[in-house]
Amino acid sequence: MTPHRIRLGILGCGAITQMEHLPAALAHPDVELIALVDSATDRTRALAKSHLVQCQISDDFRPLLGQLDAVINALPNSLHAPVTLEVLRAGAHVLCEKPLAIKASDALACAALAEQQGLVLAAGMNRRFVASHKLMLLVLNEGMLGPLKSYTCDYGGAFDWKSASGFYFSKALAGGGAMIDFGVHLLDSLIDWFGPVSEFSYQDDNWGSGIEANAIMELRHSGKYGVVEGRLQVSRTFPLKNRLLVQGAEAEAEVKVADLDSLIVRREIAGEQVCQTLRLSDAKTNSFYKQLDNFVQSIRGTEKPEVNGTQTAAVLQLIEDAYANAGRIPEPWSEVPCGTPTEPPKVMA
Amino acid sequence: MSWLDGIIFVTGATGFIGGRVCERLVQAGARRVRALVHNMHRAARIGRLPIELCPGNLLETDSLRQPLADSTIVIHCGLGNARGIVRGTENLLSVCREGKVKRFVHMSTAAVYGLTPPPGSETEDAPLRLTGDGYCDNKGRAERAVLRAGQHGLPVVILRPSIVYGPYSAWSTRLIEDLREHRVALIDRGTGACNTTYVDNLIDAVFASLENDEAIGHTFFITDGEAVTWGDFIRAHRDMLGHKEELPQLTGQDALAYYKERPGVVAGSLKAANRILRSRELRQLLLQIPVTERTLSALWGRMQSLPETKQQSIRSRVGVLPKSFAPSKNGRFVPDEVTIATQTGTVFFSIEKAKRILGYRPRILFPQGTALVEQWLRFANYL
Repeated sequence: MTPHRIRLGILGCGAITQMEHLPAALAHPDVELIALVDSATDRTRALAKSHLVQCQISDDFRPLLGQLDAVINALPNSLHAPVTLEVLRAGAHVLCEKPLAIKASDALACAALAEQQGLVLAAGMNRRFVASHKLMLLVLNEGMLGPLKSYTCDYGGAFDWKSASGFYFSKALAGGGAMIDFGVHLLDSLIDWFGPVSEFSYQDDNWGSGIEANAIMELRHSGKYGVVEGRLQVSRTFPLKNRLLVQGAEAEAEVKVADLDSLIVRREIAGEQVCQTLRLSDAKTNSFYKQLDNFVQSIRGTEKPEVNGTQTAAVLQLIEDAYANAGRIPEPWSEVPCGTPTEPPKVMA
Repeated sequence: MSWLDGIIFVTGATGFIGGRVCERLVQAGARRVRALVHNMHRAARIGRLPIELCPGNLLETDSLRQPLADSTIVIHCGLGNARGIVRGTENLLSVCREGKVKRFVHMSTAAVYGLTPPPGSETEDAPLRLTGDGYCDNKGRAERAVLRAGQHGLPVVILRPSIVYGPYSAWSTRLIEDLREHRVALIDRGTGACNTTYVDNLIDAVFASLENDEAIGHTFFITDGEAVTWGDFIRAHRDMLGHKEELPQLTGQDALAYYKERPGVVAGSLKAANRILRSRELRQLLLQIPVTERTLSALWGRMQSLPETKQQSIRSRVGVLPKSFAPSKNGRFVPDEVTIATQTGTVFFSIEKAKRILGYRPRILFPQGTALVEQWLRFANYL
């Protein structure tokens, strides 16, 4: 039990910290921001100044650990697991940005150490806190769709994430491309709704860098709703439909990326197609704030992390297996054209 | 030793042509490809390739020195803003002269003769002239800078493609969007010369420029060598959409008259301000401000729960319907001035010089090129 406000340090002050973690930390009444840590201290100072924050600015988290109850780890992907382990060893709780690790085994090591130390380890899966995630659970639990048939889940558009470090295009630093970047969110939700994945096939358009821009996964879940088959497509290059559509025998449910606070149910009543938009009454709270609040309450002992290290390791294992067994998305438009590109130049007089 | 064994530096690599250059280099077995990347978030396409992404900017000469220090080939597809076209090319050339560059292929454009090339500009020896268009004139200036560097010993080749199309090309993605929103008209029955250049044909010409020493110091028009008109190009895309209706027509004269008769400065400015306030671009910029993003997404959420007819009515009032800002005359859509200028040219550029010196032979002709584009558009969810 931590009686005082949670003394928090944020490690990594790139785009996600600037846009989400820092505003959430500053808004939370039970959080005292002690330090912002990033190798680019000038940028971090500017960030603190722009939010009128007075806290320590450092390029090294280690000397600060004794002053911190908890840490948000928003460093590049390759540093998530090693730094999380180091912080846990030093006795601080960790909320780690997704993916918790590049390898599932490292995520499990983090989970084991947190348990051994009696500390909270929360995986930063903020999508669990958007209203549509909970609405889908409610709709499925209520059986509103009837027996489930299948789903399609599309998410993508031209990549526009203003990464401060540019680590996204390094296999060593990012661990992969679109699938480990935002596919990890979608798979986490799909597994939470439909149960563990018993079979899958996977294709992507990685040409050798290990950073796919497009990926397609066919999945079969075997959970409490029986066997549910679905298709997941993610893209960093093309505008996809950006929606999840779940087909049941009696109705279908749709979640649009443009409005993650609602869920639309369509069904037929007496031969008429009807459409119902469902919302939660407290849907307007930002998902990153809710995620931080869940972390804080978990430290206080009143809640449990929405996604712990073991749960996220299962998703990471699926992605790891997908990468290991990846097929190539056919790209007939990219094949080198047939025929001879040139004919011998005519000898000039 | 083949040119593929050297270190190949590509500028503009996150763009349509530069991106395909990188892919073709990988397919051809190039050992080391370096791509200059100004905006890392635009690198998703080339991020898939086993190449080096070099953060840098054509306007920051120092950022070019390290990746160019041991590069042997430069393929310059970089563009940037008006200043970037000339200054960026000059910066690149100055660093190339310090290094080990054995061939510099400059991606110019047939638009150095203007958006509507005058008769007489069919062959490369037609003199360049100022056209009054910033893009065209700056590309002309960049060509001159490349030729000067060539005179000082840099082995340069200049390629002048025209309407380069293919997978990822904005010519196709924009046209599909415009056709869907009824923002396309055939000007002069669509008879204007399109000078299509399928992207892989252009890259064949790039490779031929690297393989052939006779090319050094020369400038080449590169097209598919076919008499494809704008009507052909637009109709091919209309067919991809499965649309059957005839496209609206207007004469180039009528279209230009619309712009001559348009309102004066005050009325025109008010009209433009109104258009900007209703534009999608402004809304996208506003969404980058957290407070407006949250306010607008709350409003969006509320709107989504309204009946579709009510949503349509709100959208039309706030200008989300594209029809509301498309210029029209007597209810007929009028293309913008750049489109009118581009689609009313009559000149088909000759590729005889490229055939003769480079041995260039376009492999993908219009039916095959548009079929490949259609396959890609379907995969990429545009169709």
